[in-house]
Amino acid sequence: MFGKLDWSAIPITQPIPMITSVVIILVILGVLGLVAAKGWWPYLWREWITSVDHKRIGVMYGLLGVVMLIRGFADAIMMRTQQAAAIGGAQGYLEPEHYNQIFSAHGTIMIFFAAMPLVIAFMNFLVPLQLGVRDVAFPTLNSVSFWLTASGALLVNISLFVGEFARTGWLPYPPLSEGTYSPGVGVDYYLWAVQISGIGTLMTGINFVTTVLKMRCPGMSYLRMPMFTWTALASSLLIVAVFPILTATLAMLTLDRYFGFHFFTNDAGGAPMMFMNLIWAWGHPEVYILVLPAFGIFSEIFSTFSGKPLFGYRSMVAATLFICIVAMMTWLHHFFTMGAGAAVNTAFGISTSIIAVGTGVKIYNWIFTMYGGRVRMTVPMLWSMGFIFTFVIGGMTGVLLAVPPADFLTHNSMFLVAHFHNVIVGGVVFALFAGLEFWFPKAFGFRLHEGWGKAAFWFAFIGFWVTFTPLYILGLQGMTRRLQHVNIEEWRPMLLLSVVGVAILVVGAICQVIQLVVSILQRDRLRDTTGDPWDGRSLEWATPSPAPFFNFAVMPNVEGEEAYWGIKQRAIETQQLAPEPKYEAIEMPVNSPVGVYTAFFASVTGFALIWHIWWLAALALIGAYAGFVVFAWREVHEFEVPAEEVARVDRARRAAREAALARMAQAEGTAS
Amino acid sequence: MTDVPFPISREAVLRRREDPSLIGHGAHGPRDIVPGAGHGETGPASKRVIVGYGFWIFLLSDIVMFSCFFAAYAVLQGATAGGPSARDIVDLPRVGIETGALLLSSFTCGLSFAATNVRNKLWTQVFLALTALLGLVFVGLELQEFIELAARGATPQRSAFLSAFYTLVGCHGLHVSIGGLWLATMMAQLQVKGFRHEIVHRLICFNLFWHALDIVWVGVFSMVYLMGAAA
Amino acid sequence: MSHLEFDPHGYTGSLDHREDHAPGDAPEESAGHWVRNYLLGLGFATALTIASFWAATTHLIWGPAAPVAIVVFAIAQMGVHLVFFLHITTGPDNTNNVLALAFGLLVVFLIFAGSIWIMNHLNSNMMPMQQMIGMQR
Repeated sequence: MFGKLDWSAIPITQPIPMITSVVIILVILGVLGLVAAKGWWPYLWREWITSVDHKRIGVMYGLLGVVMLIRGFADAIMMRTQQAAAIGGAQGYLEPEHYNQIFSAHGTIMIFFAAMPLVIAFMNFLVPLQLGVRDVAFPTLNSVSFWLTASGALLVNISLFVGEFARTGWLPYPPLSEGTYSPGVGVDYYLWAVQISGIGTLMTGINFVTTVLKMRCPGMSYLRMPMFTWTALASSLLIVAVFPILTATLAMLTLDRYFGFHFFTNDAGGAPMMFMNLIWAWGHPEVYILVLPAFGIFSEIFSTFSGKPLFGYRSMVAATLFICIVAMMTWLHHFFTMGAGAAVNTAFGISTSIIAVGTGVKIYNWIFTMYGGRVRMTVPMLWSMGFIFTFVIGGMTGVLLAVPPADFLTHNSMFLVAHFHNVIVGGVVFALFAGLEFWFPKAFGFRLHEGWGKAAFWFAFIGFWVTFTPLYILGLQGMTRRLQHVNIEEWRPMLLLSVVGVAILVVGAICQVIQLVVSILQRDRLRDTTGDPWDGRSLEWATPSPAPFFNFAVMPNVEGEEAYWGIKQRAIETQQLAPEPKYEAIEMPVNSPVGVYTAFFASVTGFALIWHIWWLAALALIGAYAGFVVFAWREVHEFEVPAEEVARVDRARRAAREAALARMAQAEGTAS
Repeated sequence: MTDVPFPISREAVLRRREDPSLIGHGAHGPRDIVPGAGHGETGPASKRVIVGYGFWIFLLSDIVMFSCFFAAYAVLQGATAGGPSARDIVDLPRVGIETGALLLSSFTCGLSFAATNVRNKLWTQVFLALTALLGLVFVGLELQEFIELAARGATPQRSAFLSAFYTLVGCHGLHVSIGGLWLATMMAQLQVKGFRHEIVHRLICFNLFWHALDIVWVGVFSMVYLMGAAA
Repeated sequence: MSHLEFDPHGYTGSLDHREDHAPGDAPEESAGHWVRNYLLGLGFATALTIASFWAATTHLIWGPAAPVAIVVFAIAQMGVHLVFFLHITTGPDNTNNVLALAFGLLVVFLIFAGSIWIMNHLNSNMMPMQQMIGMQR
C-alpha cells in the first residue's frame, strides 16, 4: 500500500537528524501558525505565492537560497569539526554512514539549492529592470520554475526525517549509486529532487535567453546592454545547453535503479565511466553558470563605485561569450585520472588553461575601471576587492590542477577541495553578498546598515582564508577528501586551525543576520528616498525603491551605453527632469496559482516514486496534468492598469527626483 | 491606447541610424524600422515572435537531451553481453512503415498550419486529426516492436546495448505520445475557443515540436536501424 | 502601448516579411507557396529516406562506405526538414534562429563526438586482453 515506506523510515535512533527534524518542524509550524493568526494568508497568497512578478519571484528565490545556505553551512560545520575530532584513536561524533550523508547533502544543497537559486534570484530581479521592460518573456513559467526548485529543496529536506539521503557524494557515481550497492532510498531522494528542480532551472534558462534576445526597451541594442545582463544571457545559454545533459544522465541512472537497466552497472556490458563523462559534461559548465552572473555583479559594482564606465566593455562582452563557449569544452579535467590517455588529457588540459584567459581579461578590466576613478569603499566594494584577491588565487590553483601530471597527485585531495571552495566562495558567494548589499534598497526601499556589513565582510574574508589555507596544505601533504576518520597525527594542527576558521565564519554569518535585523529596525533612517542611493549607471536605478510592479511607467529610450547615466547627466545639466510623458494604460500579466499547484503535485510524485508508492505517483501525475489543462483553458491572461494609476505612481517618482535635484543644486550653491 | 504601430523611440533610432559618423551595423542594415527586427532597437518583439522563439530554444535543449541518449547508444552498441546485437533486432520493413507514417504526419501537420494561417477551422482540424492518426500508427508499431522483442528475451535488462536501444527509441516514442496527448487537447481547445491569439501561438509551438520529432527520428532510424542492418 | 498582447498581424494571419519570426512560422505570400514548400520537402525527404534504406541494404556499395552514405543522407534529410518545413533561411529576419540552431549543433557535436572520443580512449592504458588472460592462474 505504501511501497517501501513504513515507520522505520523515521530515524529515531539517530539523535542529530531526529533533534534537527523536530526543531525544524516546530519552527515551520510556528511560522505557519503565526501567519494564520495574523491573517496574512490572503496577502501572502495574492502578493507572493501566486505572483508572476519577476521581482517577487527573485526575492522568493533569494529567501529559498539563504535558508538552504544556512543548512549547507551547518553540514560544513559538522564535517570540519568531525575531521578535527576524529584523529588517531578518537572516533569523532559522526559515524561513517551518517558522515557520508552529510558531505553528500552539503554539496548537493550548496550547488543545487543555495547557489543556483541565489544566482537565479539576481537574474530574475535585475534583468527586466536593466533591459527597461516590464517582465520576463514568460512570467507564469517563471513562477513554475521557482516552485519546482522549491519542490526539489523540500524533498531534500524531507529526507532528513523520513528515510535517509544519498551517501555517494554530490554527484552519485556508479556503481556505488546503483541499486546493488545503494539499495536504500537515499540516492532516489537525490535523483528526484535534482530532476524536479532541474526542470525548473531549464525553464528559467529558456525564459532568460528569450527575454534578453527578444525583449529590450527601444534603443537598447546588444552593445548597450549592461554587463550583468550580458552575463545573465551567457549563463542562461549555458543552462539551456547543459541542463538537458543532467536530465538525461540522471534519467539513465534512474532507469538502472528502478528497472534494472544496464547503462552504468558493472555487469551485462554497463559502462560506469560513461556516467562520469556525461555528468561532468554538465558539471563543468554548471560552475560557469554560477560564476558568470557573479562576474556581472562585480562589473556593475566596480563601475558604479569607481564613478567611471566599465573599462573595455566590448572586450568584457567578448570574454563573457568566450568563457561561455569554452566552458563546454573542458569537462574531462574532472577525471584526468580515469585513464583516457595522454592525447585526450592534453587536449582538455590545454582547453582548461585557455579558459583562464577570458577571466584574466575580466580581472584586468575591473582593475582598469578603478584606475583613474574616485573609488568609494562601500560594503559592496569591499566584497569586490576581497573577490579580486581570493578569486585570482583560487584561479591560479585551478590552472595548477589543469596540468594533468600535477592533477594526478592532487585529484580528490584536500587541495582540490580547497581550490573549488576558493573559487566558489571567493567568486560566487562574495558576489552574492556584494549584490545583496548593492541591490537590497532597490528591492525593499531601505539600505542595509553599513557598519555591520563591514564586520560581516571582514569576518567572512578572514574566516575563509583561515578555514581553507590549512586544507591546501593538507592536500599537498597527501590528505584525501571525504575522510570520516584521520589516521595521521601530523595533520592535527592544520585540521584544528581550519575549525578556528569555521568559527570566524560563523561570527561573520551572525554579523550578517544582525545587519539585517538592525537595518529593519532602523529602516526609516536608512530609507532610499530617490531610488538611486549609489549614483548608479544602469536602468534599474531610474525606478523608485522599491520598484512599482510595472517597473517603468513609460518604456525608456536608450541612446548610448549606460542608459540611465546619460538620462541622469542631462537632468543634472539642465537642472530639470525630461518633460512629463503621456501616460497610457498598461497591460500586465495576471497572477496564477499554477506554479504552486505544479510544485505540489511534483513533490507528491517525487515522494511517491522514491518510496515506490506507484498508485500515488500515478494519481499525482494525473493531478498535475489536470491542473495544467485547467490553466491552459483560462480566459483572462492580462489585466489593465489604468493610465491614472500609472500617472500617480510616476508623478511620485518624479517628485522625489525633483526634490533630489533641488537638494543637489542647493548643496552646490549654483544652478549648473 | 494610440494607434501608433511603432514605439515612440522611432526618432531616437532614426537619429542614430542617420549619424554619418557611425560605422558598422547602421551602414548596411535594413533602412526601415520594423517592430521586432533590427537587433531589438525598436522595443520588445510581439508575443507571437517571443512564444515561437522561446519554444525553439526549448526544442534545442530537448535535442541536446536526445544527443546524450545517442551518445550512450554509440558507446554501448557493442556491449551485447552475449545477447542479441543490433543486426538481430532490426526489422527494416516495419521501420520503413514507421518512417513513412511520421514523415507523412509532418506533412499533414504543415498543411494544418496552412489552414490555420487562413483561419479555416475545419481543414485545420482535419489535418490535425490526420497527424494524430499517423502518429498513432507510429507509436502502435513501435509498441508492437518492443513487445515482440521482449517476448524473444531481448529485454532492456538483458544487456547495456539493449538498455540504450530501448531508452533512445523509447524516449522518442514517449515524446510522440506526449505530443499526441497535447494534440488532442489542442484540437479540443481549438474547437471550443476558435482562433484566439494564444491558440494560434500554441499551434505554432506544436508545429515546431512535431517537425523536430521527425528530425530526431531521422537520426534514430539512421543510427540505430540502418547502421544496425548495414553492420 | 502594451507589448504583451500586441500582435498587429494576428488577424491577417501572416507576419511582416521583414520581421523576425520563429522557425516554422514564416510569413508566406500565399497558401500556395506554403503548400509548395511542404510538397517539395516531402518529396526530397521521401527520396532521401529511400536512398538511405537502399544504402543500408544494397550490395552495390562497398561495405565500410555504407555507414558514411547513411550519415550523409541523414544530414541531408535533416537539412531538408529545416529548410522546407521549418523555413530556416539566412535572411536577416532569421538570424536569431540560425544562431540558436548553430549553438545547439555545437553542443550536440561536443557531447556526441566528445563522448565517443573519450570513451574509446579509456582503455588506452589497459593491458591487452590476451596478456591479462595469460596472467591469470
